[in-house]
Parts: sequence; structure tokens; C-alpha cells
Amino acid sequence: MVEGQTHSLDAVFHALSDPTRRQMLRSLAGGERSISELATPFRMTFAGASKHVKALETAGLVRRRVEGRLHLCRLEAAPLAAADEWLRYYTRFWSDRLDALDHALRSADAAHVKRRKR
Amino acid sequence: MPMSDSPPIIVRITRRFEASAERVFDAWLDPAMAGKWLFATATGRMVKAEIDPRVGGSFSFTDRRDGVDVEHIGEYLEIDRPRRLVFTFYVGKATADASRVSVDIVALAAGCELILTHEMDAKWAEFAARTEAGWTMILQGLARSLGLAT
Repeated sequence: MVEGQTHSLDAVFHALSDPTRRQMLRSLAGGERSISELATPFRMTFAGASKHVKALETAGLVRRRVEGRLHLCRLEAAPLAAADEWLRYYTRFWSDRLDALDHALRSADAAHVKRRKR
Repeated sequence: MPMSDSPPIIVRITRRFEASAERVFDAWLDPAMAGKWLFATATGRMVKAEIDPRVGGSFSFTDRRDGVDVEHIGEYLEIDRPRRLVFTFYVGKATADASRVSVDIVALAAGCELILTHEMDAKWAEFAARTEAGWTMILQGLARSLGLAT
């Protein structure tokens, strides 16, 4: 799973690196919002907010639809789960590796004792 | 997590070993030893374990799993025996997934303690100053506030 998702994960981490965008995601958790609604708490221009939404869109975290003059944004949570999975994957990966290291050190000790007894 | 200028932490694991700091450190850089555990899997077979143990040197491990070769490659950034080892780390051909692993080893009265830190690509460090909390906290916090079970 890790190999195929690298590009989207890059985009997800990029999108999440900005506090404004994280706040926008929290706002979107409450339901669909227009770009103007997303911009309001930050006293941001439409263009400024639109740029942030674009980064969220690239990461696949937000889907935008246009209704008349309104740009409506909706949260897509799946990429967030993928990023979370990345963390879990490597936590497990290194935990397993360190178990193996402990085992290898103990085996080396046992072999050493055996040789000395001979 | 306190505010910090250090790169965001992705994964951190602490483990104690009965073996000395020197032995645990050397296990990362000795090809025969590292081949037994570092990127080996129970079902795979380590067909290549090459290590050039100097700063700027690289490593390459190939584990054959069900006939498929899985490569783990990287380059050593810091080697300070037996305290600290830092290397870049790529799995397979997905170079976009470049990340950095630091291994810090603290000698104890008996054995040692190892702290492993796996960070996303160094390019994410530029966002660190703007990131108040580590990635783990950010993701968990977001997942919670977005109602995702974690």
C-alpha cells in the first residue's frame, strides 16, 4: 500500500502543513461550505481562500462544485485515512524490525556461548 | 507536544536492549548482521545486503518475497558510534517516498535504550516552523475532529 500512494501522500502532507487549511477542513467537517464562507474567519479574499482550497483539492481532501456563482466545497476524508495509515504502517514496520534486531542479538549470544562450551 | 523548530516527527519508537550500545549500533552497519534483521522478513529471503558505512555512503538491501524483489536503499547522513546514526530511506522505486531515519542510542547501566525517529522527506522540514504540533498530533487531532475513528 505504501508504494502506490506516495504522490497523493505528498499532496496530503503539503495540504495539512498549513494551519489555515486545517481550519478549513474542520469547518468542512460540519458540512458543505462556499469558498466565501471558508474565507470569512480568516478575513481572506476569495482568491486567497480559493488558493487554499486548490491545495486541498489537489490532495483529494476537498471536492468543489460550482452552482451558479457559488463554489461549494465538500470534505473528502479518505486521503486523511491514507496519511494516518502511513503512520501506522511505519510504526508497525519499525516495531517489527526492532523485535528482529533483539532476536538477532540474542541468537548471536547463544551461538557464542555454544562455541565457548565446545 | 511543545512548539519546536525541529522537523515534524512522523514515527517515534523507543526500545530497550540487553546488549551494549556498541553492539546495537554495529548491528545497523555490519552487512552480515544487518542482513539478518534490518529489512529482512520472515517469509522473504535476503538476496543482497550491501553497506558502505561512511557519511555519504549508501546501503542497499534486497529482500525476495514470493519471487518479488523488494529493495530498501538509502544514504548515511550521520555516523557517530555508538550514539547516533542518521540515514535517508527509500523503499522500492518510489523515490517520492524518501524519508529520514534517526537512531539514537543511550547506554544504560545494563544494555541500552534505542530511540528511532522516522521523518517524512526532508523537504517537509520547511513547513516545520509553521506547524505547531508534530504530524502525529495533527493527523490524530484532525481525524478526531472530522469524526474518523482512529
